[in-house]
Amino acid sequence: MSTRIFGSGIRRREDPRLITGTATYTDDLTLPRMVHAAMLRSPHAHARITSIDTSNAAAAAGVVAVYTHADTVGALQPTPCAWLLPDSDLKVATYHGLAKDVVRYVGDLVAVLVAEDRYAAEDALELIEVDYEPLPAVIDPEQAAKDGAPQLHDEIPRNQAFHWTVAGGDIDAAFEQAEVVVSDRIIQQRLIPNAMETRAALASYTTATGELTLWNTTQNPHIVRFLMSGVCGLGEDKIRVVAPEVGGGFGSKLAVYPADFVTVFCSMRLGRPVKWTETRSENYQATTHGRDHVQQVELAAKKDGTITGLRCTVYAGMGAYLSTAAPGIPTILHGLMLSGPYTLPAVKEDVYGTYTNGTPVDAYRGAGRPEATFMLERMMDLLAAELEMDPVDVRKKNLIPKFDDGHEVITTLSYDSGDYPAALDKVLAHADYAGLRATQAKGPINGTYLGLGLANYVEMCGLGPSQVAGAIGFQGGLWESAIVRFHPSGKVHVFIGASPHGQGEETTFAQIVSSELGVDPNDVKVFHGDTDMTPMGWGTYGSRTTAVGGAALALTARKIRDKAKVIAAHLLEAAVEDMDYEDGKFFVKGAPDQHKTITDIALMANVAWNMPEGVEAGLEASTFYDPPNFTFPFGTHLAVVEVEAETGVVTLTRYIALDDCGPQINPVIVEGQVHGGVVQGIGQALWEEAVYDEGGQLVTGSMLDYALPRADMLPDIEVLSTVTPSPHHPIGVKGVGEAGTIGSTVAVYNAVIDALRPLGVTSIRMPLTPERVWQAIQQAKG
Amino acid sequence: MNITGSYTFDAPPQAVWDLLIDIDAVAACLPGCESMDPIGDNKYRVVLTMGIAAITGRYEGTVEMRDLEPPCSYRLVVEGRGKPGFVTGGGAISLTASDGGTRVTVDGTVQVGGTIARVGQRLIGSVAKMMMDRFFACLQQRLTHPA
Repeated sequence: MSTRIFGSGIRRREDPRLITGTATYTDDLTLPRMVHAAMLRSPHAHARITSIDTSNAAAAAGVVAVYTHADTVGALQPTPCAWLLPDSDLKVATYHGLAKDVVRYVGDLVAVLVAEDRYAAEDALELIEVDYEPLPAVIDPEQAAKDGAPQLHDEIPRNQAFHWTVAGGDIDAAFEQAEVVVSDRIIQQRLIPNAMETRAALASYTTATGELTLWNTTQNPHIVRFLMSGVCGLGEDKIRVVAPEVGGGFGSKLAVYPADFVTVFCSMRLGRPVKWTETRSENYQATTHGRDHVQQVELAAKKDGTITGLRCTVYAGMGAYLSTAAPGIPTILHGLMLSGPYTLPAVKEDVYGTYTNGTPVDAYRGAGRPEATFMLERMMDLLAAELEMDPVDVRKKNLIPKFDDGHEVITTLSYDSGDYPAALDKVLAHADYAGLRATQAKGPINGTYLGLGLANYVEMCGLGPSQVAGAIGFQGGLWESAIVRFHPSGKVHVFIGASPHGQGEETTFAQIVSSELGVDPNDVKVFHGDTDMTPMGWGTYGSRTTAVGGAALALTARKIRDKAKVIAAHLLEAAVEDMDYEDGKFFVKGAPDQHKTITDIALMANVAWNMPEGVEAGLEASTFYDPPNFTFPFGTHLAVVEVEAETGVVTLTRYIALDDCGPQINPVIVEGQVHGGVVQGIGQALWEEAVYDEGGQLVTGSMLDYALPRADMLPDIEVLSTVTPSPHHPIGVKGVGEAGTIGSTVAVYNAVIDALRPLGVTSIRMPLTPERVWQAIQQAKG
Repeated sequence: MNITGSYTFDAPPQAVWDLLIDIDAVAACLPGCESMDPIGDNKYRVVLTMGIAAITGRYEGTVEMRDLEPPCSYRLVVEGRGKPGFVTGGGAISLTASDGGTRVTVDGTVQVGGTIARVGQRLIGSVAKMMMDRFFACLQQRLTHPA
């Protein structure tokens, strides 16, 4: 493998079009005869619709049509949930495209209006008269599970969507014999994903052919096609889904939404292209949120710091309906990660998924794993405090030692490879941890307290073996595919099933091909995000694009190399067994001067004037790669904060992130991914929260009230790495899209609590705003 | 959200009471009120233009006075909706004689939904208080300088 291209921080080829504003997003597209949809959404968190009068709206200037639930009966099936968690008593509430009789969250779709232009559509929307009879609402996932709470769905008692359990070892014995037990109640607040591009769909249905093209800002166009087929009653062969430039998703564009189906319905009904682009306000209300856990956690340990058991109960808010992947996030992707990088002899977790009158919750960067890491790393710090040990020492006592090829943990996962102690040591040395502790020991300076927060993490990425997908109720496969096609001139087209949307795979995948075959990466063009053009794929989430799709591509390139070697042997009149390959050159062993390049072979394979006996023309190959296991990236993060006791203001002074994602195809892109993830995790710790009032109104409904991180609120992020290849992966890579988010929330949280320990503060509800920190300090004072 | 206020009038309770149930006076003093038409016993249809933060809009709704105990107390029930969202609220209004005049106290709640909740929630308390202050100041003015 060429080491020059693989591992080189070449510039992202995506960037010129992105930074010059010339990229084409769904909303940039315009078609002849196109009309515009606007969505009428419920202003109530929970209400019965007593009447809808669309006549005034329908008569308004420019209005083409107005549809409510009654119009869609028979034409639009309910929005499906695609992760049917087994052994959990899962109850999937019916999620109509347009609400039938009852609305269950602020933002629930009530009607759609189509007009000749967007302005007419928005203006006429307010002429739709809806009478509501308000019903009591519940937002807190734990409250929702209590007797007497408002009930969302008649057929689902106590709002319980599911009850899922993970258990291993003898948890009762662990707590009975525990020498020390620490516990905490942790609120993982609701978060709003905030992709730069809001959601959008442009549906173009041609009545004469019965064919639909849907441009959609999505992380998984093939899944959209699959689900669209079922919901809208069109054959998959008649549907083309294109994800043009997609401006971020972080999980929120994994789900397939009622508004997407409704837009398609409008186009099918009208026989005209219909475009819908979400406003930012709609995005806050109606695009999936993340997190929303109420966690009760307790850890059993010995006095020397050895952990013996982890027991927890989690109420996970699902919002009003189950979004596409929602049930799998706080369960499979959360509960199975509870051993983290530690040797944990016993575990028991009960997760109650509850329906609430909030926006549906689904995957958000990290998806379940930050919530698991938070619990474990919080317990580590509490244990250290209880035993008066340094947080580092408690962790070192329990870290799984280095392993290269498999390590089974109590939750039944088999980690692929890891060297957790090395990651921790490297961070400690880089940060001068001992020096920082010495500074801290001198006490506060002018009322400002220094705090250090650690987080070790492991994540399960590269989702995942399809057999496992089936076993855990994921309604699809989890393999990926790639096609590599050499043109006569030696230029290459690559078609991939996965659908990157900002992570830079157009660049890194060209680097993979270049490394495997010796072509210039600039001669490799990567196509993705069009179901008519690319092979089947299951999408981009769970840090799987490179971990799974990259494997498919590397194996495909190797098939090309094998065929090229046969052709080269023929041209050099040598036996295939005598051939060697290096850096794009095929030659007889020991005679590298007489060689054929991959470009030579591409020309011959395409003109086929002189091919070996029995070898087909063309130089093209494809692979469907189903991984044998997940990949398990890991790392250590350290946050350094200063907390001003008088004001409660937290200043993050240093942030050190070590992430081991295996070999790095492009370290600049890896660093960018880590930066983005870290900042989103810090946002949860310090600033972000989706707040509902007692009536279920989303009061952080815009960027005026929802505090997103800004560059001036952050220190330089110090990115480190170690390299531990995955033993089961063709090029050893593990995935890095979510890594930064997984360790950073709890690292910052731990640092703030560490700073405030001298003041007696042990727990603060996130986000750690100055007001909350100040209040906690006052309470601790008594 | 709770909203409370207390206002004094240089007039006996009966005079203040008469003013409070004088719909022309109420309509004239209610900030942004475009119309107020009776639609039943002590119930009125109201059209109101109101601005909260950057959100200005026209609301249509009803105002109803219930449990009238002249000249001591009544309850007000308000419902309205418009493009920026909906408002529901209610309040207990009490009149007590005080130093030769009348003290009017208001103890109410208000709920909002839609855009005003999403974007204007932080300001609703103070906007509601400001509107109420203006309303009563206007009524006080009318009592002092009858039209």
